[in-house]
Amino acid sequence: MIQLFNICKSYSKENSALKDVSVHIQKGEFVYLTGPSGAGKTTLLKMLYGAERPTRGQVLINGQNVTRLRRSRVPYLRRQVGVVFQDYKLLNSRTVYENVAFSLEAQGKKRYEVAQKVYQCLKKVGLEHKLKSKPLELSGGEQQRVAIARALAVDPLILLADEPSGNLDAEVSLDIMELLKGANARGTTVVMATHDLHLCHLFPRRTIHLEAGRLVNDSMP
Amino acid sequence: MEAIRYFLFRSLRNMASSPLLCSAAILTMGVALAAVGVFLLVVLNLQNLTKDWRDDIQVVAYMDKVPSATELDEVLQKVKAFPEVETAIFVSKTDALQRFTKRLGEDSDLLTGLRADVLPASLELQLKGEYQTRNAVQQVADRLKSELKLEDLQYGKDWLEQFESFTTLLELVGVVLGGFLVFAAVFIVSNTIKLTLYARRDELEIMTLVGATLRFIKTPFIIEGLLQGILGGVLAVVILYGLHHFVLKDGLQVLLLTPAGFTIEFLPREMQLAIAAAGAFLGVLGSLLALRRFVRI
Ligand SMILES: Nc1ncnc2c1ncn2[C@@H]1O[C@H](COP(=O)(O)OP(=O)(O)OP(=O)(O)O)[C@@H](O)[C@H]1O
Ligand SMILES: [Mg+2]
Repeated sequence: MIQLFNICKSYSKENSALKDVSVHIQKGEFVYLTGPSGAGKTTLLKMLYGAERPTRGQVLINGQNVTRLRRSRVPYLRRQVGVVFQDYKLLNSRTVYENVAFSLEAQGKKRYEVAQKVYQCLKKVGLEHKLKSKPLELSGGEQQRVAIARALAVDPLILLADEPSGNLDAEVSLDIMELLKGANARGTTVVMATHDLHLCHLFPRRTIHLEAGRLVNDSMP
Repeated sequence: MEAIRYFLFRSLRNMASSPLLCSAAILTMGVALAAVGVFLLVVLNLQNLTKDWRDDIQVVAYMDKVPSATELDEVLQKVKAFPEVETAIFVSKTDALQRFTKRLGEDSDLLTGLRADVLPASLELQLKGEYQTRNAVQQVADRLKSELKLEDLQYGKDWLEQFESFTTLLELVGVVLGGFLVFAAVFIVSNTIKLTLYARRDELEIMTLVGATLRFIKTPFIIEGLLQGILGGVLAVVILYGLHHFVLKDGLQVLLLTPAGFTIEFLPREMQLAIAAAGAFLGVLGSLLALRRFVRI
């Protein structure tokens, strides 16, 4: 599903964020991406949804070479890859419903399809009663659940999560974790960058450890 | 169809959510186009005016000594025999004064107290259409001089030519200034749209993240530019109409020393439409320019 071959990425001449990273992730896997701050976790995830291109090396997603992808094709890649961020990236001026509907509308779905799907997804994350609220009226955990609903609404092949519970307390991060595991159980490949070693111990999964841009450990539980 | 409604809805919501920026864009577009329109208005009316003047190309022979009735008959007869002449009219001193009074219109009280014979009598020759050229006029004048001993002739329309080259110059200035104003309008519209894009950069970023195509992202903003441009164009026409109605109609009349009876006209319907269309075009151009620099995947 995800294949990285000898990825190097440098943002400037002096330092490089990723050095010669090769990883293969199978369909349906759940993978933790760990490492200290600045190790290159975010950078690696960005490669996977076409936000950054590697300086060297190849990235294949579902057999498609992302490094060679034309700009105009990037949106179609992103329709297969849902992303969840630490800071949620919700539109604060729109309701919860509109936020989730947004990704479906962006893909040109019909209106009745959108309504149905949005309701379904919000129900999955337990927020169907907050349809009309604005994000800032919700707690951090609830906002992140909206963001997950948005990412999953389009039935992505892959779900990328960049420290999804980084801003949330331990109890709420368990909720988030359950949602990601649920998506994984339904067949979505999940890659989750995290600092939270506690979580990794609680739900042991394959863990890819980066340090200073190098892959130093790739271990199965 | 649903897509069009959806995009229209999105752009209207965008505009409603930043009413200040939106009206600023419309206003600048309106003012810029109105400035161009004022030039159009002036040039158009000057052209009308010169056309009016062209239409009455004639040769006037002033007569210092008023001829007797028989002499006059003889002269008229001879002149009417010229192949170039359409009509020949004798204008007596009193006729001339009357006419002048009428021409001055409201200002005719300037003439009260003047003796009835201040203006000379004259013979006015209207030439046939095909002879309304410089050469023909010159020929007629020559014959009047040699055959009828009429010396004091007025026919050269040199000043008319000069006036026309002046209007051409004015048109040129209009084109340059108009071009500059239009450029400024595009620049300002593009910058206001950049500001609205900046205000919604989160939305743009999120759209690109959830797999929206560039076309999907850009279309509402292009519609926004289009609508703002059209509204700006309509505003320009309204401003122009106001200017014309309250200022130019009377002001230009005085400035151009036009004869009474000549009215300063408003732009014809096609030109009003053209201004609105120009607004639409410039609005779209402005938003395209803004989007090109701002929206990247
Ligand atoms: N847009 C950028 N421009 C320049 N340098 C960058 C950029 N993004 C990241 N970097 C650099 O690349 C390196 C890796 O950054 P990255 O954000 O991938 O780390 P991270 O593992 O996600 O860290 P954290 O755990 O703090 O989020 C860092 O040294 C960072 O300074
Ligand atoms: Mg990071």
